[in-house]
Amino acid sequence: MSERQTPEATPAAEASVDGKSTLSIVLLAWLLPGAGHFLLGRRGLAIAFLLIITCSLGMGLLLDGNLYRIVPNRPLTVLATLACMGLGAPYFVLRFLLDYQGDVVAAGYEYGTAFVLTAGLMNLLLILDTLDITTGKKE
Amino acid sequence: MSHFLLMMLYAFLVSLFFALLWRRGARPRLRLFLQLFLGMMLGGVLLAWLMYPFPAGPPAPIP
Repeated sequence: MSERQTPEATPAAEASVDGKSTLSIVLLAWLLPGAGHFLLGRRGLAIAFLLIITCSLGMGLLLDGNLYRIVPNRPLTVLATLACMGLGAPYFVLRFLLDYQGDVVAAGYEYGTAFVLTAGLMNLLLILDTLDITTGKKE
Repeated sequence: MSHFLLMMLYAFLVSLFFALLWRRGARPRLRLFLQLFLGMMLGGVLLAWLMYPFPAGPPAPIP
């Protein structure tokens, strides 16, 4: 753990990275997993992240995992929905265009849900990483 | 697909993700990947082994 980079902000990096605003990079990073790193020139890493998240989401869908939506009087579904929405565009495509819900009686339902939630949370971490890079807190 | 295979796939994806995110360079990444992957796999097996004497109980109700 000692190899972790020490965060040092560089104010010059805050305004933009190659003309792209931080907000647009973060927004694209949310919409498409790996897009933020791709725009920042880390293309190999971006493709690896896209593959990992796609694989996790794909396994979740294959196992009929739950794509959470908010259920009244069940506050934990709010957090789970936010985690799933971390997927960005794939969440909205699955929910509104494909009307995907998952199958609660499927044998792999619980495992699938874990894969879907993990994919969303991984993309949220990528967004934070993109933000750290654009603001100069991380190399 | 077996429970063990799913656990292995999950541990693989998560370990790979964090190794790429948190480390730079091949050797540190490989080291962290192995630490996380083996930690999750061995931890899972150990937890399953500790739970083995307990009865499974009735199946959970479908919500």
